[in-house]
Order: sequence, then C-alpha cells, then structure tokens
Amino acid sequence: MIQEQADAVLGHPVHPDSNVFVRILEWLPLPEIIPGWVVTFGGVMLGMSIFLAVMSVLVMFCVWLERKVSGHIQCRTGPMYAGGWHGWAQSLADGVKLLLKEDMIPKDADRTLFWIAPAIVLGSIFGAMVAFPLSYDWWFGRMDLGVFAILALSSTTTIGVVMAGWASASKWSLYGAMREAAQVVAYEIPLGLSLLAPLFVLGTFSLTEASAMQSGWFGMKWAIFTNPFLLPAFLIYVVAALAETKRAPFDLPEAESELVAGFMTEYSGIRWSFFFFEEYAAMLLMSVLGAFFWFGGFESPLTGALRASGMEDTSLVFSLVCFGTVLFKGFVGIFLMMWLRWTLPRVRIDQVMTMGYKYLTPLALFCVLGAASWEALQHLIFS
Amino acid sequence: MELQAIHDTLKAAGVVGLLGCDEPRPANKKEKDPGRAGMPFLLVDPAEIVPLLTACRDESRLQFDLLIDLTASDPAADGDDLWVLIQLLSLKYRHRLAIKAHLPKSALSIASATAVYRAANWHERECSEMFGITFEGHPDPRKILLPDDWKGFPLRKDYEFPTEYHGISCE
Amino acid sequence: MSNSTSNTPEKDHKSSYRAEERRTLSSGEEEFFFDVKTSDMEVNMGPQHPATHGVMRVLIRCDGELVTGSQVHLGYLHRCAEKIGENVEWLQYLPYTDRYDYLAAMNNNLGYSMAVEALMPGLEIPRRAVLLRTINVELNRIASHLVAYGTYGLDIGAITPFLYAFREREWIQALFEKICGARLTYSYIRIGGVFNDAPPGWLKEVGHFCDVFEEKWKEYRDLLALNHIFIKRTAHVGVIPKDMAIDFGLTGPMLRGSGVDFDLRRDMPYMAYGEAYEAGAFKVPVGSGEKGELGDSWDRFYVRVEEMMESIKLVRWCLGVIEDGPIIGEIPKVIKVPAGEAYVGIENPRGELGHYVHSDGGKVAVRCRVRGPSFTNIAVVEELMPGTLLADSVAIIGSTDIVIGETDR
Repeated sequence: MIQEQADAVLGHPVHPDSNVFVRILEWLPLPEIIPGWVVTFGGVMLGMSIFLAVMSVLVMFCVWLERKVSGHIQCRTGPMYAGGWHGWAQSLADGVKLLLKEDMIPKDADRTLFWIAPAIVLGSIFGAMVAFPLSYDWWFGRMDLGVFAILALSSTTTIGVVMAGWASASKWSLYGAMREAAQVVAYEIPLGLSLLAPLFVLGTFSLTEASAMQSGWFGMKWAIFTNPFLLPAFLIYVVAALAETKRAPFDLPEAESELVAGFMTEYSGIRWSFFFFEEYAAMLLMSVLGAFFWFGGFESPLTGALRASGMEDTSLVFSLVCFGTVLFKGFVGIFLMMWLRWTLPRVRIDQVMTMGYKYLTPLALFCVLGAASWEALQHLIFS
Repeated sequence: MELQAIHDTLKAAGVVGLLGCDEPRPANKKEKDPGRAGMPFLLVDPAEIVPLLTACRDESRLQFDLLIDLTASDPAADGDDLWVLIQLLSLKYRHRLAIKAHLPKSALSIASATAVYRAANWHERECSEMFGITFEGHPDPRKILLPDDWKGFPLRKDYEFPTEYHGISCE
Repeated sequence: MSNSTSNTPEKDHKSSYRAEERRTLSSGEEEFFFDVKTSDMEVNMGPQHPATHGVMRVLIRCDGELVTGSQVHLGYLHRCAEKIGENVEWLQYLPYTDRYDYLAAMNNNLGYSMAVEALMPGLEIPRRAVLLRTINVELNRIASHLVAYGTYGLDIGAITPFLYAFREREWIQALFEKICGARLTYSYIRIGGVFNDAPPGWLKEVGHFCDVFEEKWKEYRDLLALNHIFIKRTAHVGVIPKDMAIDFGLTGPMLRGSGVDFDLRRDMPYMAYGEAYEAGAFKVPVGSGEKGELGDSWDRFYVRVEEMMESIKLVRWCLGVIEDGPIIGEIPKVIKVPAGEAYVGIENPRGELGHYVHSDGGKVAVRCRVRGPSFTNIAVVEELMPGTLLADSVAIIGSTDIVIGETDR
C-alpha cells in the first residue's frame, strides 16, 4: 500500500529497475566477444570502486571538516597549508602519511585477529552504506528493508572493535573493547526503538520510499512536522547515535584521557586509519539516516520547486539536487556532532549505562507508542 | 604563639623529651661566634618524638593539626648527628612549630610519626631513602623517589656519587 | 593466545567455582547463586599516561571498571634538586627552583628567596619590589590555575576549555616575557627583590589583562565548572572529609576544597598580602559542597576557579598602590648568607611550598630542603581510589592538580 502511495506521489515507481552498476555497464561500449560473467564481474568491481571512492571522499571531507570546526571552536584556524586553500588537502596528506607509516603489531598480539579487526570494522560500515540511495534514481543496492540492513551492518563494527581490543594484548585496549560492547548493546535498543517512531509515520523500511512519502507540502512534509512524538524520538535518536558512533560525550571506548585511544591504542599507520575512517563513516551514516526518517530525505523546497516546474524525478539535475540535499542534511547532522564533541565533557560508564537502559529505552518506547497512536487517531478522524 | 611559649606550654602539659630551644642569636665577634640567624627550633629527644607530636596535636592551646614537613639534615660530614626536622602548623592559632631532633649517626633509628600524622608517611619514606634513617613502625617502608636498587643515601654529606648505574656511565 | 588480562597467577579454577550457595538478603529474602570468582586485573596508569600529568605511575587494581586498590609510584622525574642546592651558590640555585613546580616558577622563586632572606636580618626589600613580586606571583597563580582548569577539563573529556585557558595563559606568559625575558622558568624574583623593573606600559597592560580576564573568567566558569556533565563527573567523586585532609597534611586548594578556611596569604601574611587583605582586596574561597559533598573533586576544582578571580583583584589592588622606587635591596654580587637555619612556607598555587635552608655562613647551603605541596597532596590519592570507577580515578588524580616536577623534585 505504502509503495503504491509513494508511487502515486512521485508519479512513477520509486525503484527504477536498474542500479548504478548496471547503468555503468550499459553505458560502456563493450565489444560482444567478452564473456558475460567478465562483464558482470568487472561492472561490480567498477561500481564498488566508484562507491568506495565517493564514500572515501565524503569521509575525508568529514575529517577535514572536523579539524576546521574544532579549530574554529577553539579559536584556532585548523589546517591552513596542505593544498593551499584552507588546507583542503590535509586529509589526503594524512592519508599518505598513514600509508607510509610503519605498521606495527605488538609482540604478544593475536596476529590474525589483529589483522582482521580493522577490515571487519571498515567493511561493515561501508557495507551499511551500500543501502543508501543517492537519489530517487541512483542507488547501489536495492533494499526494501534498508533500515534493517543499515542497523545490522553498522552494529557489526562492534565485533571488529572488540576483536581489536582483545587482540591488542593490552589491558587498556581491552577496556576500550569492553566499554564499546557494553555501550553499543545498551544503545542499540533505544536507537532501533526511536527509529520505529518515524517508521510508523512513514510506513516503510525503504529509504527511497521514506523520502518519497515526505515529498508533499512543496517538499516540506517532513516526518518531524507531521507527528508531535517524532521530536522526542529524534532527540533520543541523536543521543543513541552519538553513543553508537562513539562520539563525545560518549567516546568512552576511546577516552583519550583514560584509556588513551582504547581499542586502537596498539594500532598504527593505515590500520589505525581504518578505525578512524569507520568513525567518520558511521557519523555520516547516522546523520543521513536521521535525515531520511525525520527531515525529508531528498525532499526540500528546492526539490518541490523543481517538481513544480515540471522536472522529471529521474532527470540528471533532479538526481543531483536530491544527492546534494541529503548530503547537506547529513553534514548539518555531522556538524552538530562535532559541535557537541568540542563542547561537552565525557560521561562515565555507569552514567552511560543508566541513561541507555533506564531513561532512553522507556522514553523511546513511549515515543513509539505515541507516534503509533497519533497515526491511528489520524486515520480514524480523516478516513 | 612564640616558640618559648610553646615550649612552656608543652612543659606544663607534662611532656617529656624537651631539650630546650634553639633560638637565633646575633653574631659576637669577640667570642668568634658567627651567630645564628633565621628561625627558632624546638630541640627534642628523638626517643620521645611520638608522645611529643601527639601532645602537640592534641594540646588544646597548641593544636598543631598539620604536619607540614618531615625531613632530615646532615649538617657536617664529620659530625656525629643527623637532624630530624619536623614542621608543624596550627590552622586554628596560625602558628608554626619547628622541631629538631639530633639523631646519632651510630643509631639512625626513630619512631615513625605515621600513627600521629598520616602525612608523615611519604615524608618518612623519602627521608629514609635519602639519609638512611629507619623509622620504626612505618607501615610501608619502601623507597619512594629513588629506584628500589639504589645504593647509598644521597643526601648524606659522606655520599659518594656513583660512577655508573646499570651500565650507564654517570661521569 | 594473546591474553594479558591478569597479572595475578592463575588460580585453581575448580576451587573458585563453588557449588550452589545460599545467602539471605537484608530484606529477608533468600537468594541462590553460583559464585564465579574472577581475579582482579592490575593496570599501570603511567608512567606515560595523560591522566598522570607527567611521569608518575599509578598501579591500579581493577575489578572490571571498579578500582579496588591503587599504589602511586614516584621518582621518574627526580632531579636531585635538594642535593644540587647543597652544591651551588645561593643565587645559582634560583634557576633550579623554577624547575620543580614549572607551572608556578615565580612562586618557587619567591619561596626560595624568602627563605634565604629570612637568614639575612638586615636586608630590607623595597616596597616596589614587594609589590612587583606580589603582582607577578599572583599572575603566575592565575596561569597555573588556568592550566589546572584546562587539564582537568581534558581529564574529564572536554578539550576545548583547555585551549581557551591556554589562550589566556599565553597572554600572562607574554607579560612575563616582557618583564623578565622568560616564558616558563623566570628566575625573576631574586634574593632581596626582583631583578628587573617593569618596562614602560607593562603595568598598564597588566591592568588591561585583568579587565579582559574578568569577562573571560565568567565564560570559563559557565563552560566547564557549571557544565552539567562536568558536575555529574566530579561531584561526590574523591571526597576528602575535613579531618582526612588535615590528617594527610594537605595544603592549598586541596585543603580549602575540604572546607578548611586556611590560606597562608591571609593567615600568615607575607609580602603585600597582609596589607591587601586589610584593604579588602581578596577573599579566600573555600569549598562548600555546593554541587555534591564537601571536599569532593568539584569543590577542589571550583576553589581554584574562584581563586583566579581573587588573584585578579589582588593584582588590581597592587596596581593601584605601586609607586616608583628601587627594586632590589642591598645585595652583594656574591651572596654570603649568615649562619643559621630557616623554614619559610608560602602559598603556592598547589599549597604550601616550604623551603628549609641551613647556612654555615658560606657561599653554599648546608641543606636546602624543598617541601613541595604536590608531594603531600598526591599521597591522598591512594586512599581515595578504592571503590571508585576507572574514570573516577582520572578525575581524582586530576583534582589534586599535581605537577610531577614538584613531587619528584
């Protein structure tokens, strides 16, 4: 029913039957002698490379942004030299440095686990990112249950973190891993519950459909404006997302003044940068997810105006606007996370647990109930 | 309260071990006395140090509730004594008391003040490793600033500087 | 397998599993449980650890996040200051005093100079020197407390206040650079006075600094000291009751944080403090248990925050009364100190800095004892740690505001 509704809103099916990989393959002038499986394999590889490149650039931009934001919050300028204009190439320079650094493994470390851990962390977070549509027309993996995929894959990073902490053969790392495990388990529940509230309102697990459902009111029929229970749900989501992404004030697994980087104490060079990447990728993930389910996803007055001017949803300009809109919303969220990090002190582990289990979980349940009741009432009254 | 008055108060309270006051005096050229500038000290018998400190702390007209410092001094390499120096402070009466006990180098042992003031704990540990004084009844007689295997007592005047430490030349 | 979770030898696991046990709860209810014994973990906080503010080692025994015991190991920064004091001339020792509490070098200079001056009965210190000393010592106190403020924020996880605090500290250091040429190890306060007069316009700039700092101070207080998370992290943590503080010989903000109203500047005045206090130039902030219990980490921290403001008032007062005049008393080139002994304690930012100097009338000291406040203050940590969480142990060490240069000397 929802899909039909969404299709009706957009005037065409929200999932065109092709994804970015297939498009690339169709676009390439390939001679016919190449066997089909080679084409498919090559296409997937190419698509993955593009995907990784896009995401990596975004993450690098996040890192640069964090430095600039923290710098300006702290009355500094942040990076200014690398690349010339406001140190735009700082992340690239750091990346080169990290690649060239010695990759050290402690003598007592469990080498296998030590090697696998960063891969799991990075792999799962990029895996979760596959579920994101870039616009109504562009996407990498078709996911009707996109939210589930994102939540499931993004919490897999915890396994990598615990592995890293255990394999490092350092007590401080183990502490970091323990804290990560405890914290993520505690906050997975309110995170999922708080997401349930907009899911009730929007009636879909698919991100594209969720966005399409919010396209009314000249692109401003955002979920958060349609149901009073979604604002508290969003606040819970913000707190839970901060805890999930290990961002201050919930950066206990890293806690540089207590555990001195926690689970990644023993990592160096490019392996360490995987964890670093994961942190920013997770921030992007959580911000964009919030944008999709509370703040209209691709929708904004700009898309409203384009639609009013008769532009097709599948056109290139419209897709670019959609992509830009969702990225902008995501970066607003990321900026908020950075702002909080550079302002607030860190909470203590028992306070984290208390907040997660005793306050956020019941509150999130209440929000779900409230949002669902509100929707039911609306149905009763208006239909 | 001046030192003499403190001395008298303690004496009146029946405290034993008081050996008088070490007061500053002007130089006297005739008798070739260089004089003694600075601050007065209360001279005490090291054997009676714990009851004396207890009295200083508990005597209602003194109330030296803070042990500020406990240290020692080796005034001369050829001297017979080490000095144990204790600084007390009263928060209520805002006066200080400096105590000096002459400890013969042949028997460097004195009762620990930790039972009276817990502040003495680390000061005594430091004093012990630097001067080789044994504090009887100290709860934790480890070295504190020096490595556990350090030889000798560095702040003694007869201390000989080591030429190497674990293969590291110190010259 | 890489598993270094425990330093303690493996116990016989069979004996640590006890059969079904039964215990009666205080409610009268009976409870059955399997008691699985786990061994505690010993972790080294330090020597290289940001929470120890230098090179100190705290050996912590933990049961998970819970700290069950701790032991402080010092000596990593021991530089034999006292032995050096017996081997260099009186004035030559002055630069060494800069190096024990390197965050408050002016105060150390003053403490040592006053101790030596106590052995020189005829020496008179000119009034301008007294006031210049007071101004610089108080500015240094602000700088030191700014570091305490900033690093405590870091310990709790707030990074930004640290940089704000250092911005103001930078200004103070620039002021010091103008008056004595050094930014950290000043050696400015000499035996008999100070060695350099304030350059033209310097006093005016100090006044300007006071104006700006007063505004900033309010921001800093609201940003960190009154931050809700910060209060949650520090209130009720590391509580030192009054009697315990006295028993451990704590001094300075540690003592005042426990509600003991004692400040050497007011109660045993030296330099211009007595006069300033009579004129109502400063108060002595004392912990009140406002946000938690009396003597908790927050109280100690807040005493320091308030002291910064009192120091500003003191500096202002000094600026109002300072006049032109000589800046150093009659001191010979090679100082010979009359024979005698003296102990002088002054109020350092961290507590009472005491110098016991013993002269036999020669060019060098017979004994030069330094009683550093950090050394005594850190002793209380071992007592406070058991029963707290690992994160609290960082908060406790931070609230003592130690400088390792001073504990180890």
